[in-house]
Amino acid sequence: MVEVKLEGITKKFGDVTAAGDVNLTIDDGEFFTLLGPSGCGKTTTMRIIAGLEYPDAGKVIFDDKDVTQLPSFKRNTGMVFQNYALWPHMKVSDNIAYGLNVRKTPKNEIKRIVEETLELVQLGGLGDRFPSQLSGGQQQRVALARVLVINPAVLLLDEPLSNLDAKLRVEMREEIKDLQKKLGITTIYVTHDQEEAMTISDRIAVQNLGIVRQVGTPHEIYNYPVDIFIATFIGRGTILEGQVRAVDDKARVMVSGKIICGVDTSSNLSDGDAAMCVMRPENFSLEDPGDAANVLEGTVEWAAFIGPYKEVKLNVEGRTVLVDVPPETPTGIGNKLRVYIPHSETIVLSKGEIA
Amino acid sequence: MGGQGLKRTPLQEYTERLRREFDWITIVQTLVSYGMLFVFLLAPLASLVGRAFLFGGEFSLAWFVDILGSPEYVSFSSRGGRMFEVVRGTMYLWGYDHGILLNSLIVALSVTILCSVIGVVVAMLMGRYNFRGKNVFKVIILIPLLATPFINAFVIGKMFNPRGGLLNYIFFDLLHLLPWRVDIDGLVGLIVAQTLSYYPIVYLNVLASLNNIDPSLEEMAENLGARGLRLFRTITLPLFLPGLMAGAIITFIFSLEDLGAPIGFIGARANPLAKKVASYQIYSNFAEALAGGISPKTIALALIILLTTVVSYFIVKRITALRSYAMLSKGGRWSPRLRTPAWWIQAAIALSMLVLVLFAAMPQIGTFLLATTDWATSGTLPKHLTSEYFVSLSTNPDVLMAITNSLVYSLIAVFIMVIVGSSISYIVAKRDIPGRTVLDALATLPVAIPGVSLAVGYFLFFSSGWFRGSLFDPLVDPAILLIFAYSIRRLPFMTRSVFAGLQQMDKSMEEASMNLGASRVSTFIHIVLPLIVSHVIGGAILSFVYSMAEVSTSVTLGALREDRMPITFFISQMVYGLAAVGSVSIGAALCVMLMTVQITAMAISNYVLKQKVSFLGV
Repeated sequence: MVEVKLEGITKKFGDVTAAGDVNLTIDDGEFFTLLGPSGCGKTTTMRIIAGLEYPDAGKVIFDDKDVTQLPSFKRNTGMVFQNYALWPHMKVSDNIAYGLNVRKTPKNEIKRIVEETLELVQLGGLGDRFPSQLSGGQQQRVALARVLVINPAVLLLDEPLSNLDAKLRVEMREEIKDLQKKLGITTIYVTHDQEEAMTISDRIAVQNLGIVRQVGTPHEIYNYPVDIFIATFIGRGTILEGQVRAVDDKARVMVSGKIICGVDTSSNLSDGDAAMCVMRPENFSLEDPGDAANVLEGTVEWAAFIGPYKEVKLNVEGRTVLVDVPPETPTGIGNKLRVYIPHSETIVLSKGEIA
Repeated sequence: MGGQGLKRTPLQEYTERLRREFDWITIVQTLVSYGMLFVFLLAPLASLVGRAFLFGGEFSLAWFVDILGSPEYVSFSSRGGRMFEVVRGTMYLWGYDHGILLNSLIVALSVTILCSVIGVVVAMLMGRYNFRGKNVFKVIILIPLLATPFINAFVIGKMFNPRGGLLNYIFFDLLHLLPWRVDIDGLVGLIVAQTLSYYPIVYLNVLASLNNIDPSLEEMAENLGARGLRLFRTITLPLFLPGLMAGAIITFIFSLEDLGAPIGFIGARANPLAKKVASYQIYSNFAEALAGGISPKTIALALIILLTTVVSYFIVKRITALRSYAMLSKGGRWSPRLRTPAWWIQAAIALSMLVLVLFAAMPQIGTFLLATTDWATSGTLPKHLTSEYFVSLSTNPDVLMAITNSLVYSLIAVFIMVIVGSSISYIVAKRDIPGRTVLDALATLPVAIPGVSLAVGYFLFFSSGWFRGSLFDPLVDPAILLIFAYSIRRLPFMTRSVFAGLQQMDKSMEEASMNLGASRVSTFIHIVLPLIVSHVIGGAILSFVYSMAEVSTSVTLGALREDRMPITFFISQMVYGLAAVGSVSIGAALCVMLMTVQITAMAISNYVLKQKVSFLGV
């Protein structure tokens, strides 16, 4: 198990920057996720760690050892490909044994490890099948088993669940998380699915246009996004634009003649800046929460019953605000509603480009 | 943190990349591929070019001026021949002699146009209509592709002989359908023989293109009101045009370099007009090579032919590359646009197809008759069956020697092609090294090179300089050169097949292996080779078949030493009539053997390896 460090990693494909000065430290045993929209460079960053791509500049360091120029086969990383890359001409057991054969592990040892690993990923007894005879979920487990047997220093998972159906995806991500905890293996996970990233990761790096915008725990990323891209990419929310009037312990923003107070999560606002207030629908309540809160009043434009709550679009002086309310709330179109959101749960960010 | 201090210069980056890319297997593959292409393709062609411009030890265009200025080669007025002339109840169709070079071009262009017309019509019928017996036609339409070198033209010459030719007998004497007998010979004979052999090449290429057209494109046009000829002209034709051009250019090259038809016709009819084409002139000059080398004029002629084919090939390749439209809705399965017309139209289609196929299969049927009966000497119709010619295949020591020679040459050539062809395809498909595109172009080049020109190049390069008197010297022993000539000429079959296999293989297959710790060499052996093995075998089978049936270098270089002759040279001798009367039947028996090998190989390819036999094309 190792600590993985990226220092100033830069990689361009023609004019497209896949990685722009990426600096990351992934701790030993950590479950770390690279999250971002498709084409943001997260897969390239992972392939650079695996040694399948070489950076134009920067260093890849495993535990103080510079491996930047080391070919993939000397790095001892275990990569699970998006399409699994199972070799169709080999049985499941031969696919799994491959890395051990390369390492010249004794035959009887290989047999034992393969059996054990098949059990570990719940594929006991399927070793004699060919990959084409397995279901998508089973193929996924074989791909995982194939890299686990070599005790990789780092486990690399490139959108491993994207080819599975929704239900299986949830099952598999729990399984992967359990397995990772049990083995304590440093894991880097690439996904574009923010929900998946939230539920599975110790820490997340959000990447866009090759640049890492924020690194933090799921909680930090969700509640304290440092820029408007992250605030909008992750979770639902309403954005109200305005101008900063004052910044002290709170940021006070003038939004169409009304002051809205919130937290300056990026700590870079000053008076007069154009700003955006981000409000998560689930942070609204119908009753005054007691502590300092912004109050919005509007009429119902649209409402949808989700189950545990109702999603309502409120028209507040010409702007639409998304609010979750208890399911029993009367929400006929045109109904008047007054909602509260605590200052501490209102995020104020400077108006950057929403890239 | 400092991205700046870690930046490498472009040169450092480049050398680093090279170091990573060039592990030893890549180095070996690159060196072997380039080495073989250099010594056995580029160097001989270079010496052909060099010698053609040499006059009295200096650079000169003299030989070209000589050729282009002499009516023997280029003559705009006719120097003889007969066309639509009716003399004493026989219509003569020979064509007019416009000089060797013009004759070659006229024949090649005529064949290309005729093949294109027939090929497109047949492809449209097969690709757009359902009719009874279609599945049978699908197979028998390919009969002309079966190799019957020399004998096919011999049969056509025999059939159209005004004195006792079978077709004249049926249509004039028996059915009285023709007002006179028809004598097809000379240049027209070449055109007929070549058209019948080559139209399936155009047909296959066009059909492949047609089947690749998304039906919704034509349906959309119909939806907008285009029908019939308009639909064909505005939508269908432009979309299959790349396939047509690919087939047409191959036909043009094949016709220009063909020796089978001239030699076969001369064997059948001895009309000197059939000799007046460039390929035959170069071939016949090889007979003098033993005495004192090839004449400079022949060298220049070989170069002119070479330039014509290579330039037209690359122009067409360029155009088709620009016009090959990627169909947008790729990958999805679609049902082709097949119409089932009224019964009487079906009957008309089937009938005209039957006539065409019978006519086109005539050489193969005739070959079979020559080999199994006394037809060679009996006149219009065969009188009785005989097995003596097949028996002679195993008893005649010359025949046995020719078969053994061809087998040995072809097998060694296949071995070379497997090594070199797989290496080239792998580098071109999967590796990012400098010189990759050059390698790709060089490996495709042999398609465009006339065998006779290559033979001249081999002769010039290997019978002089360092190689003089060595085992590579064709005057000492042509065997090694024949092996390499086969390897070079059939290499595109191999690379195309392997390349197709490699393209189907996702790069993650290799990456997963290297990620697990396997080196590139080990990855190549354990992952890449097993995944493309059926393509390698498929390519090998195809290369083997076409090596056994190779004509141009076999009858030129192969003529230089009797105990080294390959099958095709032996057949040409039998047809030429240098041996005893009726010996052509032994040649026919050999052709039947070649066809059997070919059918077996195709069957293995199709049914065992589940591979579509790759077609000839750009």
